This record gives sequence, C-alpha cells and structure tokens, in this order.
Amino acid sequence: MELIVQVCVSGLLLGGIYALISIGLNLIFGVVRIINFAHGEMVMVAMYLTFWLNYFFGMDPYVATIIVLPVMFLFGVLIQRIIVQPIQSSSANMKIFATVALSLILQNVALIVCKGNFRTVQVSYGMSTMELGGIFISVPRLVAFFAALISISLLYYFLKYTYTGKALRAIVEDHTIARLMGVKVQKLYLLAFGIGCAFSALGGVLLMPFSSVYPTVGIPFTLIAFIVVVLGGLGSMGGTFLAGLFIGVVEAVGGTYVSPALKEAIYFGIFIIAILIRPQGIFGKGKGSEEVGLK
Amino acid sequence: MRTNKLKTAAAIFLLALLAVPLYFTSTFVLHMFTLVFFYIALTAAWNIPAFGGKFSLGHAAFFGLGGYTASILYVKLGISPFIGVVAGTFVAMVGGVILSFPLIRLKGPFFTLASIAFAEVLRMVAVDWRALTNGSVGINIPFRPSWLNLTFTSGAPFYYIALGLALLVIALAWWIRSSSLGYHLRAAAADEDAARALGINTAKAHFLGLMWSSGLTGMIAVFYVFYNYVLEPGTAFSMDLFSLQPAMNGIIGGMGTVWGPVVGAIIMTPLGEFLRFYLGTIQQGLNFVVYGLMLIAVVNFVPGGIVSLIEPWFKKKKSGDSSAADN
Repeated sequence: MELIVQVCVSGLLLGGIYALISIGLNLIFGVVRIINFAHGEMVMVAMYLTFWLNYFFGMDPYVATIIVLPVMFLFGVLIQRIIVQPIQSSSANMKIFATVALSLILQNVALIVCKGNFRTVQVSYGMSTMELGGIFISVPRLVAFFAALISISLLYYFLKYTYTGKALRAIVEDHTIARLMGVKVQKLYLLAFGIGCAFSALGGVLLMPFSSVYPTVGIPFTLIAFIVVVLGGLGSMGGTFLAGLFIGVVEAVGGTYVSPALKEAIYFGIFIIAILIRPQGIFGKGKGSEEVGLK
Repeated sequence: MRTNKLKTAAAIFLLALLAVPLYFTSTFVLHMFTLVFFYIALTAAWNIPAFGGKFSLGHAAFFGLGGYTASILYVKLGISPFIGVVAGTFVAMVGGVILSFPLIRLKGPFFTLASIAFAEVLRMVAVDWRALTNGSVGINIPFRPSWLNLTFTSGAPFYYIALGLALLVIALAWWIRSSSLGYHLRAAAADEDAARALGINTAKAHFLGLMWSSGLTGMIAVFYVFYNYVLEPGTAFSMDLFSLQPAMNGIIGGMGTVWGPVVGAIIMTPLGEFLRFYLGTIQQGLNFVVYGLMLIAVVNFVPGGIVSLIEPWFKKKKSGDSSAADN
C-alpha cells in the first residue's frame, strides 16, 4: 500500500514537468498550427545549456534559468522565423518534414558538440529527500512540480487577462477571423513559438538536477508531449496540466509494476485508446482541431 | 513511336543491369548496386500509403517484424526462409492491421506520430523478449550456403534477388496507383472530405494501402536480413535505417509518385554511404546534419521532389534516352 502511494507521488511530481513541456507544445500547436517534431530537442538543448553553464561557470541549474529561458525564447523565435515561416502555407506533410529534419540536425549537432556521453549536473540537493507521513519525496522533483505549477498559472493569467494573451487565444479559436479582427498574426506566431520553446526549456532545466542529458534524450518528450496534448485538448491549459500529471502517474505505476522497458508501449496504448474514445481530447475544446488532423 | 523508343531503351537498360554481375566482380560495386535495389524496393513500398497522403515514420516496425519472423523460424526451428518469406510478410501485415487502428481516425501528423511510437514499442519488445529474440545481442544467421537457405558464397544471387524485388515493387506500385485503389487514395490525399462526400470509402483505401505497404516491407526485410546474416533490435527496428531513410528517399525523389522512390533511392543510397564513410569517420553524426539540411532545402525549394523537376523536361522531350527511361 505504501509503495503504491510512493509511486503515485513521484509520478505526479514528474508529471508536473511533462505538463510544462506539453503546454509549450500546446501553445505552438494551437497558435502556429505546426506539428513540431523537434519539440523534444528543444528540451534537450535547454538541458545541455544548463549542463554547460554549470560545468564552466559552476552555475546552479535553478540560477541558470535566468540565462537559459531568454536564450531558448530567442531560439524558438528563430526556428519560427527561419524554418517554419517560409513553409507556413504548404501542406501539413511539408511541415512534418521540416521539423523532422530540424530534430535530426539538432540531435546530431548535439552529438558532434557534446559527444554521446551521459552528462549530469552535480548538486548537493540532487539526491536529497524529505519524509512526509512515511512517504519519501525527492526535493528537486518537488521544486520542479511547484515551479511548473507557478509558471503554468502565470501563463494562464497571461492568456486570460492580457491583450496579447487574448489575441493568442483568438488565433487558437479561429485564424482567419483573428486576422480579420486586426490581430497581427505573424508577430504572434513568433511570440507563441518563443513562449512554447521557453516553457519546454524550463522543463529541461528542472529535470537537470536529477537526470542526465544525452543527444537523443528529447525523443520520448516529443511523444509524451503529443499524447498529453491529445488527452488534454488543443488550447486547454487546465486539461494539459491534468493530462501531464496523469501520464506521469501512469509512467511511474507502469514502470514499477509492469516493466520499465515497456514505458513506450504504455504511452502508445494510452494514445491509441485516447484518440479512439475521444479524439477531441478528454478536456478538450476541440475547436479548430480538424485543421491539424485531430477530428 | 516515342513509347517504342522508350521501351527499347528500357529493355537495353534492363539487360545492362542483368549483365552487371558478369563484368563487375568487385564486391563493393555489387554491394552498392544491391543496396540501391533494396532501398528502391523499400522506398517504393513505403510510398504506397503516401499515395493517400499518409506519411509514415515507422516502417522499421514492418521491417523488423518480417525480418525477425523469418530468422526466428529459420534459426530456432530450421524452417526454410522461403516459407519464412510468406510468414514474415503475413506478420508484417498483422503489424499493419494494428497500426491501422489509429489510422481510422487520424489525419497526417498524428498518423506519423503513431507510426514512430509503434516502431519504438516493437524495438523495446524485441530488446525485452530475450527468449524469442536473444534481446539486444540479436540473431545470427548461420553460414550454410544453399539455395534453400538463401545463403550464397558470391554476391551475384542477392544482386538478382534485390533487382527482382525492386522491379516487382515498382510494378506493383505502378499497378496500384493506376487501379481504383490508387485513384481512391489520390482522391483522399487531395481532399479527404470531398472524397468521402463522393462516396469513396477512404478508410478502406488507406487500410488496403497500408496492407500492401506493410506486407511488402516485411517481405523485402526477410531477404535483406539473409543478405546481412545478422539481425538485432537496434538495426531491425532502426529509425535511421528503415523508417527515416525510405521516407527521406521518398520525399527527396517525390512522395506519392511511382518514380520518386526510384530516383530518391538511386541518389540517396550511394550519397548516404559516401557521407557515412567520409563525413561519418571524420565526425560521427555529421552525415545526418547534411541529410537534415538537404531535407529542409527540398521542402523549401522543390516540395514536389526531384521527379517534379525532371517530369516536365521528360514529357516535352521528343525521345527518351536510357537515363530518362530509368527515371
């Protein structure tokens, strides 16, 4: 009994990071309408940045956020401007090719620059835990969870109450009408890609104290983020958050009771079941999802 | 008149291909030709769902299923690979049935995603299920030269097998594309909703396209595995070798056309080997960076693939020469 609670708690905490990464994808997906197959690679780049900042300057991963997030925001803006914008009007398949190519390039540049080794950041609190009613909670995971919660709340506030946020939501609802209402669509695409990239980067930074980075570390994150967005529903922040937690718990439980090697099989199963039962997302808004292939 | 000349040119070209093993005894040349034929076949098979606009990045799943089925039957039970080919094709088709579940509901991008996940899952299973697959060590095909064992002392037989496979899959792809299934798929690719409104069962068309594609990929895999003597999860279900490579050949040559995969495989296979040997030895991974840049360039400048550049020139030309017949 205690084990299952323990497993669920650590899954829930990890789920916070998944939610963070997935919300980045949801924003890019919803606003720019691009299937970003290089999403996990953004997490990977952020993890490497954190690692190198720590390696060369001894910077604490949490402090590194101040540098990593703006850099990754810019990185996202550049990707949108250089890779995505020129093919904005081509078919969905063309956008897939372009982002698959981008992920291939990023993975292999990482391999060339950083070699294939597993890199970790050594911090004093990396392994520290606290006990709460017989349950052990890893401190960096707890920090990650609360950081995710806070930043997602901030994004929610931004989208709900600011003018720019409202414009972004308008684009998610209906592109053409948003444009007709005078929303500067191209500029907001850049912004959405930047924010989305920064959110995934934050997920990467928060992972660093308790996990390692290698060139292909991002591949599962792309998959996880897509599943979470499918479950949570396009354009729904709350849904994505809950779905992220859910996937975290499922992964932890499946990894403990079935086999850690079959993690992907479990995701795949959930993915298939989810799209068969409720393709518009469990909590989803569904609107506009036809355009991106979800129907 | 023109078609007659074309036919003659094609016949001469084919004869020249048949004569290659007689004049080139160098194993490297033969190996390169064989590899190109294998990849033409694999890419043409990958391309069949692409007639309907379905872009798979998980064909390694079918490759692995076919290859593993035949080699397990042969190594563990002593069953001839000729029966293994039938079994491998069948098992790969079963894989196709499983992958077709998400296909019923999903359009482009999510199908692509599901296909990646599917291949990854199978790779994990192949690593995990040691009793059947020897885990990550893999299965070695013992060297017992005989026609029945699909094991030969020279490279020539596999040259002809691979050439035969390539011709077979091109012919099938051409036939499918000009059959009613092909028209249904192309209609679905152009506008899924409109096709459905006209009474086309697009789900059925996509399903049948995937059946052909998965079965053929499984079949090709059996021969490829016996050509290589060894099979392990990392290569059999390799994203790079059997998911990405056929897709890349198809995109660069021209996705959804009959000749695109041929052009793509002829250009990309030697180039890939060259890059791997020259750049790959200087710096591991550099070849993939070049690939990625090429893909982005194609998407931006020639979205229809190389075939879309050749075709108008080819159609206007009064008579075809052998290289045009080849393309």
